[in-house]
Amino acid sequence: MAEDREILREVWDGRVPVCVQLASEDCSTLSAPDSYYLMIPRLSYLPMVMDKVRKHFLRFTSQELQEAEMWLESDGTPLKWHYPVGVLFDLHCGGAALPWSLTAHFSHFPDQDLIRCPTREVVESHFLSSLKEADGLKHRGQIITNMQGKDHKQLWMGLCNDKFDQFWAINRKLMECTPEEGFKNIPFRLHSLCKPPIQRLIKPLADDGRKITLGDILQDYMPNTLQEGDRVIIQGIEAPRDTPIQWLSEHLSHPDNFLHICYIPAQT
Amino acid sequence: MEDDKEKSPPPQEVVAEPQQEHKEDDIKVAANKKIDVLLKATGDAPIMRKKKWAVEGEKPVGWVTEFIRKYLKLDASDTLFVYVNQSFAPAPDQIIRNLYESFGSDGKLVLHYCKTQAWG
Repeated sequence: MAEDREILREVWDGRVPVCVQLASEDCSTLSAPDSYYLMIPRLSYLPMVMDKVRKHFLRFTSQELQEAEMWLESDGTPLKWHYPVGVLFDLHCGGAALPWSLTAHFSHFPDQDLIRCPTREVVESHFLSSLKEADGLKHRGQIITNMQGKDHKQLWMGLCNDKFDQFWAINRKLMECTPEEGFKNIPFRLHSLCKPPIQRLIKPLADDGRKITLGDILQDYMPNTLQEGDRVIIQGIEAPRDTPIQWLSEHLSHPDNFLHICYIPAQT
Repeated sequence: MEDDKEKSPPPQEVVAEPQQEHKEDDIKVAANKKIDVLLKATGDAPIMRKKKWAVEGEKPVGWVTEFIRKYLKLDASDTLFVYVNQSFAPAPDQIIRNLYESFGSDGKLVLHYCKTQAWG
């Protein structure tokens, strides 16, 4: 168990270095503002960490944009705030060039690509919905339903305030399972750029009792896409393909209780 | 889950499949196949006369929400919430196929809709 805790802690402490600049079309001053550098927890969401960035840039935008919702773009692609930061980073940057360079926009909100996020409560309710969905898959929703409202709040506050112990005191209940059987199903999403993620019903064990591995999932759901040199990244790590999916789900899931697997093709 | 009776049978003919446990093989569908989505009203939401619709699997939840809004002729100021399993609200960009594969049963995906937040 001690080892497990170290892994969970390591994942929790993951940060990505980010450099944000203001889109030139939204800049109303003669000289462009300085870029804003920050380290963002992998497990957080963009709206939770961008308040300071927004304030920094607002001084350089015109009067009519003062109430506008800020959105971020990585190399031409608008970033979905409802994906955990670590997932966005693995998909869009992959650590090829650090820090990850983002552009902040205040105009031309891409309604086709992004959901609006008017308040922090929207992030919280998205987070809770994901927890419920994940528990629906893992335990038919029994654990999350039997929790009290204050437990849900503690999960959210633990994440917001970067309190590992506060979060895991509750989250470990959502990770309960018998060692022989594991979860009923594994909540996972297989992401690749430019396509909606793939989400299917996967049990931790095959009918013959063999443990289902990361490789099995890739083989089943992207048999025609997978090529030599492609990378498959979870929490910034290229996990061995023979890692059991149950283990990955328990240790490398995001706080929303989903295992987010990022597929990066060799040639992009 | 619950056993509320359908008041009016859906006008469109629907091929019922035998009740089955979730099995990947059984409910895998071709990427372009349409998926039967059953729309059930909850709380004060108006009932739709036709409840069962065939929806392309790649369509996002937000598209279905818009469809319901138009069908019910809701005002722009009205809110509409859509739930799966009577427990969680999927993200608007989640595609129907993902939900069907994970939470579909009996050959269809059941979505509950309401005008005020019902669950969570």
